Amino acid sequence: MTNEFLVVLPILVPLTAAVIAIALRRRHEVQAAWSFGSMLTSLVFAVLLLADVWGQGRPLVFQLGGWPAPFGISLVADVLSALMAVMCQLVLAGGFLYALGCRDQCAQYPMFYPLFLLLATGLTGAMLTGDLFNLFVFAELLVFAGAALTAMSDDRFGAEAAYKYFYISLVASIALLLACGSLYVSYGTLNMADLARRIAADPSPPLVLPAMAFLMVFFMVKGAVMPFHFWQPDFHTAAPTPVHAVLSSVVVKLGIYGFFRMTTLLFPGQAELIRPVLVVAGAVGVWFGGLGAVGTYDAKRMLAYSTLGQLGFILVAIGWGTPLALAAAIVYAFNHSLLKAAMLMLAGSVASRAPVKTAAFDVITGVGKKMPLAGVLFLLGGMGLAGIPPLNGFIGKLMLFQSGVESQAYLPLAVIGLAGIVTLVYVMRAFQRIWWVPMPAGAKTKPYGDRLIAPAILIALSLALGLWAEPLLRLAYDTVAWLSVPEQYVRVVLGG
Amino acid sequence: MDLLRAIAIGVLFGIALYQLLRRNVIRIAIGLVILSNAVNLFLLSVGAYNGVVEAYAKAVGQRSDALPQALILTAIVISMGGFSMMLALLYVIASRYRTGDSDEVRGLSH
Repeated sequence: MTNEFLVVLPILVPLTAAVIAIALRRRHEVQAAWSFGSMLTSLVFAVLLLADVWGQGRPLVFQLGGWPAPFGISLVADVLSALMAVMCQLVLAGGFLYALGCRDQCAQYPMFYPLFLLLATGLTGAMLTGDLFNLFVFAELLVFAGAALTAMSDDRFGAEAAYKYFYISLVASIALLLACGSLYVSYGTLNMADLARRIAADPSPPLVLPAMAFLMVFFMVKGAVMPFHFWQPDFHTAAPTPVHAVLSSVVVKLGIYGFFRMTTLLFPGQAELIRPVLVVAGAVGVWFGGLGAVGTYDAKRMLAYSTLGQLGFILVAIGWGTPLALAAAIVYAFNHSLLKAAMLMLAGSVASRAPVKTAAFDVITGVGKKMPLAGVLFLLGGMGLAGIPPLNGFIGKLMLFQSGVESQAYLPLAVIGLAGIVTLVYVMRAFQRIWWVPMPAGAKTKPYGDRLIAPAILIALSLALGLWAEPLLRLAYDTVAWLSVPEQYVRVVLGG
Repeated sequence: MDLLRAIAIGVLFGIALYQLLRRNVIRIAIGLVILSNAVNLFLLSVGAYNGVVEAYAKAVGQRSDALPQALILTAIVISMGGFSMMLALLYVIASRYRTGDSDEVRGLSH
């Protein structure tokens, strides 16, 4: 077996496992064990892929069906793709672990685990593909699986949330198709490496700018960026905990990944047009998300708005576009995935102990008195989100502000710096409400709730990366070094 | 012919967007189907570039590019799946809220 197969394995393993898991639907325990096992296998392959790509210092390319690059579909793993794949698989495995120990009815349904594996397939595939149309296919797979998982939620508004998510995602996919068409008529190819080469050679065709705009729309909807975020808070209020923990943390990173690819691979020449948009959308999103989170009535909804704000920081960093800022964006994205997934899981497990299963602050006031471990984890996670050491969040924010000073973007820096305080406000408010305020008289918590092992692992990982951050930082700097020479990527994919 | 196709695509997009923005959820679903067909027509016309004609090559010696047709086939299959899932969701919503008016489907917005 050659190394190229490592690229396809993190996609192939969950896909095959999903099909087999459907066949195992009558034996729930067997199905759960099988699905979790294959999820971990796929995580191992993703880590091996990252180690290989990073260690050898070159992207790995798998040409599907043996067709050479611009004609067939290529799966490409450069350091960015591989890192994103590892991040997604890590959080997906965490979500899976949470689903195994959660008391939601929906996790008992025969289709829950297969759909979860398909979600993993779609997400990993979208990160690893080197072809725009293939990106559309994987993104659709992701949306279908995500919407179905949401619709089967225990919450009675699950179908409504799924409907909103599905509807806006389909419209976004149509924007991606329009971008594909515009680029195809301009350059006669959809392979990203080939496109990058041809766009660099001749950026004059009139449909290039519309294609950029459509791609931006697609990635902004996927990433729930400020003007396209309306599905997101509703969605998070009603989706099952393991599902929205994954969707809010890593699925939105598909948008971030897309902006990385757009500014460094596809349109480096036109990046000056994209970057100001990202800075403005990010800075507005930071405030909008932060203030939205302060004003909510529901812990999960609060964390959904908080995602908006945190993604704003990453977007601003991508918008600055200096090597340090890009490295900061990668570190920030990685630690936001871990922390946000853990925080949403903690909110979900608090909700599972509440008298009525909901995360509304009125109901979960004081519920945390019975769950001290969850309180410690929530406090740590909140400190990470706000960027207080010793968690990893501090390092991401420090790099971000350094890069802002370095690129002398003082206005956006001041705007997002102040917004960092808002993060602390809403996290502490939630913490006080759930863990400090006594329960209302007469209310009774349930004796058992969802298990805390998955958020504990994620927070521990984030703590470890905060105390020993060098590997992640080195990885981020190497990724940026790779991103700054798109010609290398193009050469490897197209061969020769 | 090009003009006719351009007008057809434009009209389809117009109808689709109008339907998408209406309040009745069924009309929204229909709008989505029309939208995906408008995009398919757009993809079909994309096949004509650089001396290649689109799917309906008539004269001898003309070639048409097969890739946009493959893209459309994939897009059709996916949008059919999407539409059926949309209908299933609408069925659940309609039976739960007893209405097809999207303004009244607001259990989540406070």
